Amino acid sequence: MKLVSIPHDQFARYRVDAIFDCYKWDPQFLDDGTLAQHVLVITEEEYEELVRLTEALDFETREAEMFLNHHLDLAKVLALPKKISHELKKMSNYDPNRHVRLMRYDFHPTIEGKWAVSEVNSDVPGGFAEASLLPKLAIQYLAPNQYVSIDFGERLSGAIAKKIKPHGTIMFVHCTSYSDDRQVMQYIGDKMDSLGFRAIYGAADHLRFQNQEAFSILDGYQGKVDFIFRFTPLEWLKDIKPKTWEGYFDTITPSCNHPISIFAQTKRFPLIWNELAKHHIKLDTWRELLPHTTRVEDARGKSDYIYKPAFGRVGEKISIPDACGKEEYQAILKAVRKHSKDYVAQKRFISKPFETPEGEKFHVCLGSYTIDGKHAGFYARISKKARIDSSAQDIPVVIERNS
Amino acid sequence: MSLKEVYNIWAPFGSRWIDWVRPVPFVSINPSYVIREWIDDTIPTICYMRDYCKDMAIIIDLPAVNSIKEGIALTAFGYRPIPIFNGTNPMPNTKATTNNLLIGPLLIWGASKLHDLSLKADANPVFLLDKNRLQRYKIDPSVFDNSWDVYSQDLPSAEYFLQHGIHKILVRSDYVERDLGKILYQFQKRNIQILFTNGYEEAKKIKIKKIREK
Repeated sequence: MKLVSIPHDQFARYRVDAIFDCYKWDPQFLDDGTLAQHVLVITEEEYEELVRLTEALDFETREAEMFLNHHLDLAKVLALPKKISHELKKMSNYDPNRHVRLMRYDFHPTIEGKWAVSEVNSDVPGGFAEASLLPKLAIQYLAPNQYVSIDFGERLSGAIAKKIKPHGTIMFVHCTSYSDDRQVMQYIGDKMDSLGFRAIYGAADHLRFQNQEAFSILDGYQGKVDFIFRFTPLEWLKDIKPKTWEGYFDTITPSCNHPISIFAQTKRFPLIWNELAKHHIKLDTWRELLPHTTRVEDARGKSDYIYKPAFGRVGEKISIPDACGKEEYQAILKAVRKHSKDYVAQKRFISKPFETPEGEKFHVCLGSYTIDGKHAGFYARISKKARIDSSAQDIPVVIERNS
Repeated sequence: MSLKEVYNIWAPFGSRWIDWVRPVPFVSINPSYVIREWIDDTIPTICYMRDYCKDMAIIIDLPAVNSIKEGIALTAFGYRPIPIFNGTNPMPNTKATTNNLLIGPLLIWGASKLHDLSLKADANPVFLLDKNRLQRYKIDPSVFDNSWDVYSQDLPSAEYFLQHGIHKILVRSDYVERDLGKILYQFQKRNIQILFTNGYEEAKKIKIKKIREK
């Protein structure tokens, strides 16, 4: 694995191309550009290893969630939000063949020369265009014959197309006030439009359910919906008033993702592994790759553990002392003491930084997607800090040809 | 003019502050649009300041059309307009909380004005906001809510402003909105002076009160 540079004198043009040709509508966050000036290059051997590990993790995750769905009493350890817990029994009709199951596993290279997996984005992983169009763009700026990339969008649109009737209507459910959510939806929506489907864009409460089927109430686009693509996280969905969202849990309208995703989305998922093992649900790959994760109470006084929020996003509120400011670190510890069930403790791994040709060092988080159990692509971010959070940069991932 | 050309005129390579130009309204412009609709292209007269102030940035928080026009007017003093509109568009023929329809045409119009100017690469910024972003009223649940807030990450940090010689921020609006107030409060804490004008009166120093989360 290595970092190569987009030629310095071409970066400004690359950035504009990324904005207009690759749906990169959020290229700036405070004082930092969110688009890396580099490309992450992996070897074919690393690619094959990542595919193998990702698919093994995914098999185990889906086995676990299917089991938990029929043994909800065991899921109490996960301490899911009450409003969501109350709806879980509705998921008993969940049929994985009906829906598209999309996940992204976050891999980090460590100083021991191994991989560590920090979490799975089980509910609403994003980064679609960055995982599809951006690598193709980057290759144009490098040596086109030397690298190949995976088109995640092709695989996702293909998977959706298999679960929906021709010319069917797809509602892309997202937080409509956030343009960075819309850019993710617009990319895959345009893909589906190009395949002859009808993409419509609305909020979670623009869907209503009758006889377990989804209907759009969006102005000008009322009617039956044939596929739900949800990008609003479940833990936000539950706060919508009036309560129109419970239909997501037992709908027979195909969706991506179905709320079955909640079991693995919480960072407390590992707390149930020993119990699952008693029921012959093996999580060997997870145990190999995820640093030891335990209850907050079990890690008190252990300096080599960090705290993570159970429903954290984009690396926020993770207590890595040298990666967050003193003020933020103290605020996280205070929150952990006050709401310990909303956090887990995880043994810290030491991320291996990679050096650019210009001599800068970056930590890497390599997200590896699966769709219905098959590997589907990569989305990576880099940061000068060991914590990959909102200030990290998106970086395209390409595979270097062996010959 | 292609969309990239329009964007590059508003955000010319090598100029300071242009990284904060938000692409969202530019990518939403209909590529086949040409200026043929009627646009009131009168440029307003600025009566609340007389000269370029080398240690001051400006934030204009007016309805987008007026904001863009006033941003263009301030180029006469040497300021560089930086649009930070961030609202998305609804599907065609869908009722929405915020009407962004004129932003694209005005940005094209503004590009035609900016094209003929030669602003300094380090010209101080005028950040352009759309006051209508906060229109959240939905007459019924079928309406598309494309209202939006401005957040601290949409602007440079206080440290960045100070490092680049900006010690004052002038807000041009009818009052300071809650979302903007939260950001300005943090700037004020770092000793950046906040000034305010309603457009008719001289800018006056104001104190932003801490805004509590709801």
